[in-house]
Amino acid sequence: MVTLRQMAIMVILFLIGSSSLFLLGGKAERDAWMSVAVGVLAGFVLISFVTLQIQRLEPDRNLIEIFKLYFGKVIGFVFGFIYVIYFCYKCTRNVREFADLSIMFLLSDTPLSVIMLIICIIGGYAVMGGLGVFFRMAEVLLPILLLIYAVIYMLLIFTGTIDLGRLLPILEKGFKPVWDSAIPEIISFPFGEMVLFLMFWRYIDRSSFSQVIKVTLNSYLLAGVFITVMNVVIIASLGSLAGWSTVPLLQATTFVAIGDVFERFDPLVALLFFTAVYVKLTAYYLGASLALAYLLRISLRIAAIPVGIGIFFGSFWFKSYMHQVNVGFEQNLKYHFPIFQIYIPLLLLIVMLLRSGVRSSSKHQSQPSSEDSNHAK
Amino acid sequence: MPNDKNTISSGKQNSSLSGKVKQAEQVLLPDLDVNLERLHRFLGGGEDIACRTLQHRSFDNTRYALLYIDGIVEGTSINTMLLSLLDDANNQYSDSVSGETPDLYRHLTDRSIAIGRLSEVSTIEQAGYAMLEGCTVLVVDGCLRAIVMDTCGGKTRAVEEPSSQTVIRGPKEGFTENLRTNTSLIRRIIKSPDLRFDYKVIGHQTRTNVAVVYLEGIAEQEIVKEVHRRLDKIDIDGVLESGYIEEFIQDRAFTPFPLLQNTERPDTASAALLEGQVVIIVSGTPFALVAPVTFVKFFQSSEDYYQRYDIATFLRIIRMASFFISMLLPSLYIAITTFHQEMLPTSLLISLAAQREGIPFPALLEAFLMEITFEILREAGVRMPRIIGPAISIVGALVLGQAAVQAGIISAAMVIVVSFTAIASFVIPAVNMGIAARLIRFVLMILAGTFGLFGIMSGLMILLAHLCGLRSFGKPYMMPFAPFVASNLKDVLLRVPWWAMRKRPLNISSDNNLIREGTGQKPKPDQEGA
Repeated sequence: MVTLRQMAIMVILFLIGSSSLFLLGGKAERDAWMSVAVGVLAGFVLISFVTLQIQRLEPDRNLIEIFKLYFGKVIGFVFGFIYVIYFCYKCTRNVREFADLSIMFLLSDTPLSVIMLIICIIGGYAVMGGLGVFFRMAEVLLPILLLIYAVIYMLLIFTGTIDLGRLLPILEKGFKPVWDSAIPEIISFPFGEMVLFLMFWRYIDRSSFSQVIKVTLNSYLLAGVFITVMNVVIIASLGSLAGWSTVPLLQATTFVAIGDVFERFDPLVALLFFTAVYVKLTAYYLGASLALAYLLRISLRIAAIPVGIGIFFGSFWFKSYMHQVNVGFEQNLKYHFPIFQIYIPLLLLIVMLLRSGVRSSSKHQSQPSSEDSNHAK
Repeated sequence: MPNDKNTISSGKQNSSLSGKVKQAEQVLLPDLDVNLERLHRFLGGGEDIACRTLQHRSFDNTRYALLYIDGIVEGTSINTMLLSLLDDANNQYSDSVSGETPDLYRHLTDRSIAIGRLSEVSTIEQAGYAMLEGCTVLVVDGCLRAIVMDTCGGKTRAVEEPSSQTVIRGPKEGFTENLRTNTSLIRRIIKSPDLRFDYKVIGHQTRTNVAVVYLEGIAEQEIVKEVHRRLDKIDIDGVLESGYIEEFIQDRAFTPFPLLQNTERPDTASAALLEGQVVIIVSGTPFALVAPVTFVKFFQSSEDYYQRYDIATFLRIIRMASFFISMLLPSLYIAITTFHQEMLPTSLLISLAAQREGIPFPALLEAFLMEITFEILREAGVRMPRIIGPAISIVGALVLGQAAVQAGIISAAMVIVVSFTAIASFVIPAVNMGIAARLIRFVLMILAGTFGLFGIMSGLMILLAHLCGLRSFGKPYMMPFAPFVASNLKDVLLRVPWWAMRKRPLNISSDNNLIREGTGQKPKPDQEGA
């Protein structure tokens, strides 16, 4: 089983994940950090009133089981399958991001396919280990990541790269651009992505579900504050350049030099990002595999294979890194992701509230089957 | 060694479980000569089987015989016993036993055998196996039972300083090959009535005695049961070292990491017992097994607890760092020189490039050559006769190091990297953990040579996933990092002073007996200020 602490850590790592790669709310320019703050709050409302509420009504079922229970076998299956595809797609984007950045910063001559294959293998290895293994990995990784982030921030501060003056003037063009870039983009990425935890929450070892709600919201806010601070740091060190660079934080660290000896920190920073992206892509990979395992009633290890193959080949769909980023930021965030993160969960919640009788009557028939314990490992 | 009735019968069970009983058990018959003949036949009648027949004067010259296997019995106790028996045999007890039916068997057990521990058997097998343990068997004519006397002994190695796990400060005693000596070494350290020794016999041919040691009330009952369950499942003809048992009872077969700790030191074993772990002592080897164990345990030396806590903490960090150096340094060197030269400061890059200019091999091959060379040297160092030692070191240091660099085959930087790696790998106190680092090093070198830092990171991620999935007797291997157990962190990278470690490690020791010391023992400066 997964402890509450492990879940908190996973929420933090998952949210920080690849969001550290981009300048979130870039359209608001130097007020981007305010967009992020707005996004954090909006996302907070979303998960506390929709996502967590779904799980609160059915604390011992995961998303797929809830779909099957409330929407019936056929429609439930369709919705479940849509989520498998959604999780796979999200994972695909992360794999591609990981691979493209590796080529950009570390391995200019290695073929994309090989790198993506390796990423899928290291992701798949953790997924096959099961939920417990992956959550324990996060527990080991978090202190290391935090330490490296702390070092980077210290370096940026002590070398004088950060200049808070670059944040001024605040709200030059009024509040509208801030709001526009926050809704729905920043909800969709990264905060609305918490919908994935509907696959994980039920495995958490707890005495009551209110503990899960409390810990989730606390760690969510912690991650939100962290991402906002990171946004401030990026803008304060790069100014208007932030909007143009591919990986702004990486760009910022290229200004750091200690003496004449340590001048290049960026490969190190790249490794840090990759770890974070790895956690995120594996979380999606695990979510998709778990969902497929429940849909088809097969074991997680077997489900991980088709999902992994799908992710690997799906990653070739993007023509380039910029294509991937553009598809993501221009289309997915605005039109597609809200469907999965807001509309379907909202629909599900309404159905659940309307059919609340189902729950009490079905309690007798469907006890958690023995198959469940297989996955929980 | 432990030759009371229980062990003998449990040994018999073991052999019957494995279907090795050749025929129906032969009970002892009234005729002494037949019994002796059958016992000889059972044991194959070797020259080392000693048989001494006596007659007792006061019991109608009834004959009785002493049997033992020469060399595995303690000569002095046999001699004293024989003296007293002879003395007794020549005595006339007409008065003292008047009114009772003359029973030689009772007389011998109650009055004349000068041996501490006796037991009785009624079949040839039991008697034979007892003799193989080193016991002496006394068979009386006309009696359906035989007396088994504990005379185990013979030549064994004395208690010496452990050769593979040395300390500067701390007890210098080490386990030996003798199980009884080993249990006594632990008994002498922990004089608690809660100390339990459960004996087993494993191996149908070697019939190796195995002791499961734990502290009742401190060890988790579930773990003790699990150890018993796994040991009972072992079905093998011979056990020559605890390594045999380790491979049978570890939680997962395919892992480079040791899932059981081994120790040659009674103090380490006792410390493990006091923290609720279970120690498995195997006859015939000085290496006892400790379970369950976590990853960090392998970086702790018993000396950490004898030295001051500040230096102990420092040394632990050094050891942990050495583990990573030993695993990662060659691959980092390969990755940086091959793929990420820009990471190096310019001056260092230039000097490295100048060195590597004349080298015909890529860094990966160069590193592989040197690492393999070193592994060969190390293996040679272990296997060669001691007299040839200096020759090997001259060849190793001069020919393979200096000459290879001068000949332009290997760059000087690579020699430094490989030597440093080698030295770092010797810092890890547990040899089996060092071996894990050695094997992983080669895999990471290949990954570094093909994918640079990306490859190393991928390898480390797989390694982390692997480590997080490992368990030792059901306990997560990466504890107390994952799952995180805050109170256990006092004794992981840090070693806080003894007065601050009030609790036994959570999740290893039994939950209802965690407090091991009183509060408020921190030394305070004198209040008077005098």
